[in-house]
Amino acid sequence: MSTRESMSDSENVEQALNEHDMITEAVLADAYEEDGDDEDAEPITAQKVLEILETAWTNEMCAPELLQHQSDMLELMMSQVAHMEEQMKDLDKNDFRFVVHQMELERIRYIMASYLRCRLQKIEAFTQHIINQDATYDVADKRLSPEESKYAQEFATNVDEYFNKVATRYMPNQQRGEAEQRVVAPNLMSHVFLKANVAVSGVIVGVDDEEVDLTPGSQHIIPYQLVSDLIQRNQAKLI
Amino acid sequence: MDPSIIEFIGEKSMISIIPNFSNEPLHLIYGSVGPFRAGFPVFVPLWLAAHLRKQQKCRIVPPEWMELETLEEIKEEEKRSKFFTKMPCEHYMVVAQLVMSTAPDDVPRCEELRTIIKDIFDIRESKLRTSIDAFIKGEGTYAKLDNLTLLEMHSVRPILPYSLDHIARYQRVATASQRDTSMLSLNTTGGASGTGSMSNSLFSQ
Amino acid sequence: MSRSNKMFGDIAFDLLKDLQRSSQTIPGFDDDGVRQVLEEIKAIFEENVAQASNYNSSGDRSLWPLLNYRHAALQRNKRCLLAYLYERMQRIKAMRWEFGPIIPSDIKPALCEPEVQFFNNYSKSLAAYMRSVGDGQGIDLTGNLRPPKSLYIEVRCVENYGKFELDDGEVVHLRKNSQHYLPRAQVEPLVRQGILQHIA
Repeated sequence: MSTRESMSDSENVEQALNEHDMITEAVLADAYEEDGDDEDAEPITAQKVLEILETAWTNEMCAPELLQHQSDMLELMMSQVAHMEEQMKDLDKNDFRFVVHQMELERIRYIMASYLRCRLQKIEAFTQHIINQDATYDVADKRLSPEESKYAQEFATNVDEYFNKVATRYMPNQQRGEAEQRVVAPNLMSHVFLKANVAVSGVIVGVDDEEVDLTPGSQHIIPYQLVSDLIQRNQAKLI
Repeated sequence: MDPSIIEFIGEKSMISIIPNFSNEPLHLIYGSVGPFRAGFPVFVPLWLAAHLRKQQKCRIVPPEWMELETLEEIKEEEKRSKFFTKMPCEHYMVVAQLVMSTAPDDVPRCEELRTIIKDIFDIRESKLRTSIDAFIKGEGTYAKLDNLTLLEMHSVRPILPYSLDHIARYQRVATASQRDTSMLSLNTTGGASGTGSMSNSLFSQ
Repeated sequence: MSRSNKMFGDIAFDLLKDLQRSSQTIPGFDDDGVRQVLEEIKAIFEENVAQASNYNSSGDRSLWPLLNYRHAALQRNKRCLLAYLYERMQRIKAMRWEFGPIIPSDIKPALCEPEVQFFNNYSKSLAAYMRSVGDGQGIDLTGNLRPPKSLYIEVRCVENYGKFELDDGEVVHLRKNSQHYLPRAQVEPLVRQGILQHIA
């Protein structure tokens, strides 16, 4: 990312901060395609990236299973935050603008950290299940980011080693294995709060194939599995 | 979801302030705010309003609904209706709490407002508990929750989804054991479905 | 097993109960208990192996319930033991988030060697992950634990800490009972370690 030279007075800094949307747009254009085949050069603003991340964050907090990673969005937002911090270095620490920008960055950093922590918790709880599941997905559909995937593998090995050193290796032969018995999977039928983003018709809400039409903005409590595809397609969000 | 997170989300709500300083617009990632002109109202996110107020850089303009007559009407309507009425603001509790604790002097008849907002919340909570009771006894697994605010939904969170999860699990185990006792496993997966379903409309209009 | 008034699985269950009751960050690793459970597992297993071959050759159906009972006892022992280890693992993980990459010296004796190794591996792996996030930009997930309320917080110093340098180069002297108004994000670790106390 290009750094501006001799940005000593705060006017220039503010101006630089103002241009952040444009700076991000360039990077974002090829990283993100909304709805697939629309005009592919449609640039995405930092504001939009933040919205996507916020939704991913609340969805992740409410969903029983690990959702698809958002590495691209995360990377963009991290660059954006780093860039703004860089630009703000020269502002007076007590400057009104400095404090406000700083406050906003704090909020964004919290969202990103909380989001990633939430994912790590799920990865640690359902490690083997998630690894197995991801092995069956295409690259584009993987739930784990490459970094998370590495972390999950290491964690699984580490846990196995610990269990083995302390207990399982002292067990009679036939009692050691059964690793698949220890695979813990999330309860996908657990109930979640859902808010429809758009109208969705014919959502099955029970095992008797009872159907309901969701109106935009309507809220529901429902077993997660029945609506997981709506979350995936961004037709609804968890709250 | 932790209450502090619900508050955090509610702090994104926009609110009007009257700054006592002037400044160019600020281009936040959330979107631009300002320009700020001393004495002229401007909309900012609640978190910013609270900060500026603490620094004594502004006065907060209470939202339109934060006014005694309006809230009296809402309270009566809430009492009359069997369903949940639509609140004037999605985060009414968070906004009210934050505005009134940060800037009690900016809110006329603050104490009375506090009481009535609490009343409305209590009426809704009690309605919510009654509905949940009926819902669970009716063995439902799905319900519409229109007009409930985020805070209200999460106020029942420790009970509602979890008790439903447990009931569903018992039902699955019961069905499974009827089918074949030997098929019982310790698996925690919720793949099987033997849950009865009955939609419930008590929550919505 | 010949212990009086003891049933299969009692020791294993006690392991778990004691762990859950303890209010310490993590109680000492119960070497003895774990060994006893493992011995019980082995004993049950060997008895069953012996009788299973007996059953196979004689076809004596009356052995069937006993075999099943022992098998269930064995499974329960295993389950309790692994649950014990799993719960300890959770607490060891929590320590990494709370205290950082080094096990506090007063807690270290409570861990057995494989647990220390687990902690070190976990710590390394987590650190590597945090560094790698965002294509190597890195993010510290052990900070920003709570939604930010204010950039600055009022803190009181609980013990003499000495000099503390802020990101902007300013140095504050943290003396016992002194009060400061400091950037929240930078002092959060000290608050968590109990050196500073957040005052409303």
